[in-house]
Order: sequence, then structure tokens, then C-alpha cells
Amino acid sequence: MDWPAFTVSLTLAALTTLVLLPLGLALARWLAVTAWGGRPLIEALLLLPLLLPPTVIGFYFLVAFGQGSPLGTWLAASGVRLVFTLEGLLLVSVLVNLPFMVQPIQRAFAAVPHSLREAAWVSGLSPWQTFWRIELPLAWPGLLAGMALTVAHTLGEFGVVLMVGGNIEGETRTLSVSLYDKVQGMDLQSAHVMALALVGVSLLALSLVLAFDRVGQRGRALQER
Amino acid sequence: MSGLQVQLQSVTPIRLDAEFDCGAGELVALVGPSGSGKTSMLRAIAGLWTPADVRGHIRVAGQDWLNTATGVQLSPQQRRAGLVFQHYALFPHMTAHANVALAAGPGWTAADVQNLLSRLGLAALSQRRPVQLSGGQQQRVALARALVRVMPTPQSASDVPDIPNPLPGVLLLDEPFSAVDAPTRQTLYRELAALRQKVSVPMVLVTHDLAEARRLADRVVIVDAGHTLQTGEPARVFASPRNARVAALVGIQNHFAGRFFKDQPGWARLRWTESGASQEAIDLTVVDKNKIDDDTPVTWVLNGEQVDVLADGSTTNQPETGATLLRCRLVEVLALGEISLCTLTPEALTSQTITLNLTTRLLGRLDVKAGGWVQLLIAPGALHIMPVREVG
Repeated sequence: MDWPAFTVSLTLAALTTLVLLPLGLALARWLAVTAWGGRPLIEALLLLPLLLPPTVIGFYFLVAFGQGSPLGTWLAASGVRLVFTLEGLLLVSVLVNLPFMVQPIQRAFAAVPHSLREAAWVSGLSPWQTFWRIELPLAWPGLLAGMALTVAHTLGEFGVVLMVGGNIEGETRTLSVSLYDKVQGMDLQSAHVMALALVGVSLLALSLVLAFDRVGQRGRALQER
Repeated sequence: MSGLQVQLQSVTPIRLDAEFDCGAGELVALVGPSGSGKTSMLRAIAGLWTPADVRGHIRVAGQDWLNTATGVQLSPQQRRAGLVFQHYALFPHMTAHANVALAAGPGWTAADVQNLLSRLGLAALSQRRPVQLSGGQQQRVALARALVRVMPTPQSASDVPDIPNPLPGVLLLDEPFSAVDAPTRQTLYRELAALRQKVSVPMVLVTHDLAEARRLADRVVIVDAGHTLQTGEPARVFASPRNARVAALVGIQNHFAGRFFKDQPGWARLRWTESGASQEAIDLTVVDKNKIDDDTPVTWVLNGEQVDVLADGSTTNQPETGATLLRCRLVEVLALGEISLCTLTPEALTSQTITLNLTTRLLGRLDVKAGGWVQLLIAPGALHIMPVREVG
């Protein structure tokens, strides 16, 4: 087992989820209730990382932040390096995980009947209080599902990590990249261990997602009565 | 000025022309078909819906909740509107107690809320969530949640029946009885009547059920296509609808077309014709109240409860002044226990049908079955005549 890679993977997954949660929550809540005409475009942009090959995203990231690009040069002058660093990996990880975090949360908020918001308003609750006391408690299974999906997907990400992070031990070499290395080096024993670890974590995350989804459905059924 | 005054006009997104009021302690029912705008009017009072181009005012206990002349528009939070939603909209993740406590003002303690729930028969159920409650119980929780919104303190409700304290809000009920079964509905009707003895607040009920409006409301407002067509005591509106549309909306049977001709002073003839070009006609004698011009097309209603049914061939000894005797064939008899729903066709106007609810006993005494003949004695008072042109 490549423990440094394991640590990098977990750190990346935790940080991605932490950064993405407030961002995804705000985006998802807005998308769930907005009547704005441009909503489908935003939704399509958010889903794009699901369809694009990770190499495309990695490529554009290198083009945008690499040496020679205006942004990369400017950042380098300020002492910030994003290519082949954990920070850069985190930034691109947040981007590609947006659909995994936003989708379940958006669905959960959209499932809260509008009449409950109105009931809260006529009961004297401000929109902010309505969000905290009514909407969020009803949408929390969606939040947990989004977090579990983000963790699982970050652990499994490969192409983007390789292109953006390179393969630096203890910095950007994740478990999935390390697994690739071990197979290349014919160390099948270690490969087995890491593959099994990834399968286990992903299975656990997916089980959690489905369990939360069940809770969410029960909540919705409850509201429709 | 106490109570609620509503006067609203808008063009988009829906045409709205509403004007009605509701005194403190009064129950006014907005009645109309679905899509007529009655729920929109209720939502406008609560502040949940305001058309962009609205003009008018909503005033409660002398305070403007909306006034387009002065630019006042209170938010739903600022209005004291207790709204019972059609499907109650209880918060599913909260107990009955928490649902009510959430809407209660600072004058309420948890014990006060529990006390109110007890008075509504929910003492043992206060820690249950909505999903664990029956439809009727959910409705009571929703009513309690609406009530605390219009009661600044638990003492606002009077312990002395008939001398309630006026409260600064309105209670709005959006089809609150539509989602419960019939026996529960009867219980809830009684509870609402009892509640009215204790809280003096304008109550506006939205319903499409005429019987419900008749039973519960002090006054009804007939709503159609965003317009308030007629306001009045239920018995009055049902007995004398202002125009044909109101008559149709309140489900009046025996609703016909005709022409009004002036006759000798104080009297007139109602010529009953079918709408087509047929020459068949029946002249009915009516009282001329000088409200309708000579030779005017009218619609008119025959009030079945004021029609006498006589055996065929019999004559009355002392016919009422101006009463018309009409020979009719009994086309169909639907026996519904003590009452039979009878369809009759006048001999002289075979294209028209009259519907009467006759007691099965009367039919037995007349010894008449479907296909047989009877005579209807129609007094002028049984006829209600309206000009064809709609008002409003």
C-alpha cells in the first residue's frame, strides 16, 4: 500500500468536499427555485464535466494556468503555482465535481413543496429563517448524497490528476495514479491492495448515497400526503 | 374601521376585479368554479401574490396591507394573516406542537401552545409529526397554526362566548375541508362554528362547494373569471341571483330564456320560448316591479320549492292571483328515498324541461308515474327574472 498516495487522496477528497459544499449548496438552492430563463445554460455548463474526457479539462487547465499563459505568469509572479501542486489539483477537482455535488442538492431543494415556503412566510419566518428551519432540514439527505458522491468521485479521478498534478509523491500522486504506476511496474500485489481499497470506499459511498436518497424519498412522500 | 376591506384591479397575469369586505367575526365565503381567481384573491390578502400592475387596497383593522395609491405593500411576514392551506402545508419534519409554536408570537409560551392544541382536541397528539395524523387532525393543527398568527397573546380568545375581543388580523381558509372525508367534515364544520364564538376576526373561506358556503358563511361572494359578481347573504344570492351567470354558478336548476312584456299596470307577461326559431311559447303572468323595460330579452329561474303540483284534470278552487296552470308530462322519475327527482316537459313547449324535487308521498297521492301527466301551478312569486346583459 502506498500510504503517502492514500493520504493525498483522502486530503484531496476532504478538501474538495469542504470547498464545494457551500458553493454547491448556494448554486443548487438558486437553481432549484429560480425562474430565470438562462437556467438551462448554467445547468448544462455544470453537467459538462460529466461528458468531457478528463484530458480535455486537464488540457485547458494547463493552457490557462501553465507557464507562458498570462494568468500562469501573473500567478507565478505572485508566488502561486497551480500546475503540479495540490492547490491546483484542488481547484480542478472542485470544477469537475460540481455536478456530483449540485445535482442531488438541487433535486432535494426542488422537491420541497413551494407551499411550505409560503406557509413559513405567512407564519412570520423571514426567507433566511425559512431556509434554515424548513428547507435545509428537508433537503439534508440531498446534501449528504452530494458529499458522498464527491468523495467517491474524487478518490476515483485519474486523468485530470495525471495531467494537472503530474505524479509527485506526497504532493499530487493519488491512490489511483499510484495504482497505475504499480501495474506498469508489474507490482500486482500492491495494485490489488489499492484497487480493493478504492472499490471498498466507492461502494461505501454509493451505499450511503442510496440510503440518503431513500430517506429523501420518504421525506417527499411524507410531504405529499 | 374594523374588519377587512378588499378592492383590487389588475389586467395581467390574470384579470382581476375584486371588491368585498368582511367584518370582524364575520365569515365570508368566496365561491366560484376552479380557476375563477378566488384562491388568487386569498393569496393576495396574505401577501403571497401581488400582480405587477395591481391597483387598489387591502385594509385590515384600519391598517393598509396594500395601497397602491400610497405605495404601501406589506410583506407576508408583516401581515397578520392566518392561512390554512388547501393541503395544510404542515412542516413534515416538525411535531404538531412545533408547527404551531413556530408561528406563535413572543406572547406565547410552549405551555400556551399546548393549551391551544388541547382545546382543539389534540392534547395527546402534540408530539406527533404530520404523517402520523389523520386528515382531520392535520386540519386542526393547520387551523391552530393560523390562529396563533392572528392572536398576539393566548388570552386574545374570549372565554365568554359571543363577546370576543377584536383581533388585528384575518383568518384565511383555502378549501380547508376538501381533503377530509364527509363525517370528519361535519365535525370540522361544527368546530369552526364554535371557534367563531371565541375569536373576533374576519374569516374568509374559499370554496367551490355551494352547500358548504351556504352552511358556514354569513355572506357569500360569487367569483367568476377574476370578478366578484355578487355579494350577499347566501339565501338572498341563491334566491335572487343578479344575472344569468350568477344563477348558473350557484347551480340553479330550471333556468330558462324568455321575453318580458309589460301588461296592465303592475303586471307583466313572461313569454317563455326556446332559444331557437320555434313558434312554441308559453305566457306566464308575473309582477311588474318596473325594473325591466317592455319587450326585453330576459333569463329567468323557476323556484321549484314554490311550485304546486296538481293531478291532471283537477282545478283549483281559489287560484292565487296571477298564477299560471301548466300541463306537463312527467318524463322521468328518479326515486331517491323520500325525495324523487322528477323531469317534466310542458305540453305547450316540448323542447324545455323542468326539474323538480317532489316527495315520493306526493307522487303516490297524485297516482302518477313516468309518462303520465300533471299540472303545475306557478305563482308569480316562484319566478325570478333577470336581464340578459351581465353586470360587471
